[in-house]
Amino acid sequence: MSWLAGLCQRRLIVVTGKGGVGKTSIAAALGLLLSERGRSALVLEVDPRENVHRILDTAPSDGQVVTVRPGLYLQNLQPRQVVDQLIGERVKLGVLVRRILNSPIYTHFAEGAPGLKELAILGHALRLVEGETPSGPQVDVVILDAPATGHGMSMLRAPGLVSDVLQHGPVARLTTRVAELVGDPQACGIVVITLAEEMPVTEALELRSALETELGRAPELLVANALYPELPQGAAALEGLGAGLVEELGVELLTLWRQRRAINEAQLQRLRAAWSGPEAQVPHLSLSQGRDLTAELARSLSAASGEDAVP
Amino acid sequence: MKGENWNDLPPLVVVVGAGGVGKTTLAAALALHSAEAGDHTLVMTFDPSRRLKDTLGIGDQPGNQEIPVEIDETGGETRGGGLEASLLDAHDAFDRLVRTYAPDAAARERILNNRYYHHLAGSLSGILEYMAVERLFEVNATGRFDRVILDTPPTRQALEFLEAPDRIVDFLDSGAIQLTLRPWFRGDGRLKATAVLGGLGRRLDHYLDEWVGLDLLRDMAEFFQAFEPLFKGFRRRAVEVGRLLRSRTTQFILVTTTAEERLPDALFFARRLQERGHRLGRVVANRIHPMSASKCAADEMDDPGARLLGWLGERDQSGLEALGQLLRGRRLGAIPVLADEPTDLVGLRRVLQRYKPVQT
Repeated sequence: MSWLAGLCQRRLIVVTGKGGVGKTSIAAALGLLLSERGRSALVLEVDPRENVHRILDTAPSDGQVVTVRPGLYLQNLQPRQVVDQLIGERVKLGVLVRRILNSPIYTHFAEGAPGLKELAILGHALRLVEGETPSGPQVDVVILDAPATGHGMSMLRAPGLVSDVLQHGPVARLTTRVAELVGDPQACGIVVITLAEEMPVTEALELRSALETELGRAPELLVANALYPELPQGAAALEGLGAGLVEELGVELLTLWRQRRAINEAQLQRLRAAWSGPEAQVPHLSLSQGRDLTAELARSLSAASGEDAVP
Repeated sequence: MKGENWNDLPPLVVVVGAGGVGKTTLAAALALHSAEAGDHTLVMTFDPSRRLKDTLGIGDQPGNQEIPVEIDETGGETRGGGLEASLLDAHDAFDRLVRTYAPDAAARERILNNRYYHHLAGSLSGILEYMAVERLFEVNATGRFDRVILDTPPTRQALEFLEAPDRIVDFLDSGAIQLTLRPWFRGDGRLKATAVLGGLGRRLDHYLDEWVGLDLLRDMAEFFQAFEPLFKGFRRRAVEVGRLLRSRTTQFILVTTTAEERLPDALFFARRLQERGHRLGRVVANRIHPMSASKCAADEMDDPGARLLGWLGERDQSGLEALGQLLRGRRLGAIPVLADEPTDLVGLRRVLQRYKPVQT
């Protein structure tokens, strides 16, 4: 079974990687890809600076679910909004809810309690796929555009952390369910995005070993994003290049291309030696952020998986 | 074009920008320049690559120490300022803080062994930013350095770091602490308020336990009580660092790339810095692809790879122009994309040499 067919069976897909490697774009492309294959998918963004709506060309979400097209949704949600919403649902009495939400003590607790914000987001994803949110579309899979590696790991670690200090009660029950979801490779897939450059690859490898030692599970897919293309054959030395290319690009840009590609190849080699499991290579595309880029990324991912594109 | 003169940097330079734009390398390059210009300089970084550590010769040194960098024998014209580097390790810094400021051995052990502290020190996402504040205070207080170049934590907006001092003060002033400091629990571990209520109290305990977990509350209460003697110091240092970050002796350098989607972020960041009363020095557009030599349009090139490289040159050129428009009146400059990260001090020196001012 290809990794794409595998991802089609998951209920939660957590997309993470070092800052600036294209997490949000790949998360959106995966959403598009899964929705094309009949899965009702929601791309969930946690970054306070909304971006996913630009990638999918919709209005900003501002906390609400936005329909991109039937079967594809996006939402930008801040952890605080989820915690507040949970309080609203549980306490039910409007006056009391407002008093709680406005109290400085609650504010600091909601901001500062270890693991609470991360848990809130994962809990929201769980409730979405279980159809437990008060409103919103029927969703088969949530694709979570998680924070960058370090904070992404905090997010995946949170359910275990909270269930460690909290043994019973409604919050503990939700925590247990979230921990089960995140720990189950059949239900939750973790996708690591990297560039084929030293730092992002190092972080990807560190993330992998943290996942294995702390959560006892491996990521499902590695995406090597934004690869520089191979040079035209025989171009190992500038002299071997067609005169046309040297003239067109100039020596400076050509040299840069060759060096960048060499770094990509060395790092791909490093990944090959240290990473077991499916990997998808996605080329650097000459498109700015937007729906065209997302569609092109989805095509590249689909091609990399070996699956036929859905017409 | 004549190279930029970087000799106007104030005693504290904070390098900010989104994740993955090259902050750490630029911070190291600035520090090297500063040291070679004769100032005793410290570069504080969070997350340097293996290679940058090797470049600076600070390989596997432990965090939170100032480690001298050998620059004399690398052909640089040094006037003996001296360069030191320090890596931040948040968990270790927190432990050290407790060891330094805890009033006695018993208090220290109480904190270090508290389960809540254990989770807090290792996993709370604001801790890194907070510890950066503490480290900055510590270094500043020594007065050993003519200049400190501070790289900021790898958060998308790096705003968390700037807001950390105010947030700490706000938290300590909010009354949340006073509440947690009350003696809620009796010696036998039961809640005081409910213990006097007999059977009804027991039911209330049970209810509270169901909802938030009494164990957690007990750990938290114990943690804050153990920490109480330290709070005053936290507040004082946070206020001082907050003031330092807004003072005349501090300048921010904003690093960005020129991909279309990054421009609003850069503009947002420049505005936020100003709103918060910080001084923004240069904005550095990093990793600029050069234009193709023939200036022929990228989409007319035959080879698909050439089309991409041509497009990247066009994208960065128009991104740079747009940035110049958006940041009118500011000091903007560009550094071309390097073939590879610098591997030695010679390479690091070249980073600033390739900087070119851009008209805004």
